[in-house]
Amino acid sequence: MITGMDRLIAAVNGGKSDRIPVFCNLFDQGSKELGMSMKEYYSKGEYVAEGQLKMREKYGYDNLWSLFYVGREAELLGCKKIIYANDGPPNVGHMIIQKLDDIHRLQIPDDIFTLPAFAESLKCIQILKKEADGKYPICAYITSSMTMPAMLMGMDKWMELLFMGPTDVRDELLAKCHDFFVKEIAAYRKAGADVLFYANFFGSTEAVPIKFFMEHSLPWIEKDMSAVGTKGIVYFCAQARFNNVINIVFERTGIENYYLSPLADVAEGKRIIAGRGLTCGAINDIKLVDWSKEEIRQEVKRIIDAGMPGGKFLFTTAIMPYSIPEENIRAMVEAVYEFGSYE
Amino acid sequence: MIQRIKTAYNQAIFDTDKIAALKVVQEALSEGISPEDIVFHVVVPSIEYMSTSFNQEFGTSLAQHFMTAQIAAQVTDEMISKFKLPPEIIGKMVIGSSHGDFHGLGKKIVIGCMKAQMIEAIDLGLNVAPEKFVDEAILHEATVIGISSMMLHTARGENGCIKVRQIIQERGLEGKIKIIVGGAPYLYDHNLYKIVQADAWAENGIDAGAIVTKLIKEAKR
Repeated sequence: MITGMDRLIAAVNGGKSDRIPVFCNLFDQGSKELGMSMKEYYSKGEYVAEGQLKMREKYGYDNLWSLFYVGREAELLGCKKIIYANDGPPNVGHMIIQKLDDIHRLQIPDDIFTLPAFAESLKCIQILKKEADGKYPICAYITSSMTMPAMLMGMDKWMELLFMGPTDVRDELLAKCHDFFVKEIAAYRKAGADVLFYANFFGSTEAVPIKFFMEHSLPWIEKDMSAVGTKGIVYFCAQARFNNVINIVFERTGIENYYLSPLADVAEGKRIIAGRGLTCGAINDIKLVDWSKEEIRQEVKRIIDAGMPGGKFLFTTAIMPYSIPEENIRAMVEAVYEFGSYE
Repeated sequence: MIQRIKTAYNQAIFDTDKIAALKVVQEALSEGISPEDIVFHVVVPSIEYMSTSFNQEFGTSLAQHFMTAQIAAQVTDEMISKFKLPPEIIGKMVIGSSHGDFHGLGKKIVIGCMKAQMIEAIDLGLNVAPEKFVDEAILHEATVIGISSMMLHTARGENGCIKVRQIIQERGLEGKIKIIVGGAPYLYDHNLYKIVQADAWAENGIDAGAIVTKLIKEAKR
């Protein structure tokens, strides 16, 4: 039997299996599978692991996620308040950096792997590793040095500091977040994560001007990558477009896998990557809430037609909203199995 | 001379360089340019410049929009205190993040740009209950409600814009108070504003000024 890992390895190496790999990024839906509130679901690693395994089994896609919710990283650094909703992802309810002095006080733990706040994530990965038994790649989500401060102080406050200084305080925070990034990625690798989503909104020129990208974003991406290596890394800009910087990122960092924005020109992205790595083409999953089955089919076909020729292509979603009807998720994956088939 | 100042100011905000932008303003003042001209012929056109640059090569970025708004708000505040006559306010809006939403960047950009465009934007903060949007609009005699949402469930949830619309109808305020929405989900579905029953949406904070101005005029009719 061909597994999700077989499909991924074939795609990365430019080969063919039965079909292209499909990563479906379902998170909050796990609570529905287990009949739990969002708060209860996210309270234990075994619940999240069970939700992930059930959803993968149900729809037949190729990946598993160790991510609970994005704010989890802030909890590793001391955030104590998470606000839960019943129909969407939890929010960070307390910014641990309220004033600039808090940056001086921010301490990065020596070892994330043994941190109590990491225990449930670790338990989740361990269960996934055991149950998936190498058949399905386990994904982890790790925020870049330059984007992490937004989770600690809010995006608006971080933008103020990033662009208006004081630069020594800004650089101190970036250095601490880089230290955290290196330790966090080591913990996820040690736990057994296979695919590492390098989340960096500031890696797109939809976030920052090209001049700033070249002078600041790119050097921090280089620093991140030179510290941890690019094995398993996927360049991901929180759904922002970045086709115009793929070449320079590839040349300067060696990152081979690119998760294009759902709004990106997939054919253009594929042309730029030019067989040097894996192109991940994402569907605009906000529209999956309302699209008809035929509209979903046509959109899946459009993305696959643009990305599949020449191989080294993976079909994916963004962060699937909770309100997408199950039949639409099924329509999407079935369309990928049909149009993405090599047989 | 004003063209040279405008070009220098635009370049500074394009480079997200606040210090350079403020220096341009100070030099313009010392060269005898009036505070009124600085606001209406330098700052406001810079917002329009950002908006028209949005789709050009490399476009403009969220950071540039943020800096445009921050600088516009600061310069406008400083210049208004030097105006010969108090400026005429076009209208008022209340703005906040939708219920359950704790993201405030987009709202901050809108508020900064509104100030320069002589629209008084009253900030209701984050995680705003639907009743509060309407109560505060009535209290401040605002004719536009702005609802910012970063996540789909807060944009189209039962306590989001849909509920605000329902309250407006229940209180007989339909047509008197308009709703504009914005935020990430609307970028991915341009029809979403209709689904949540808003009157309009803005792709970004920079574009919001012209749309709010139009809504203010419509609401006054």
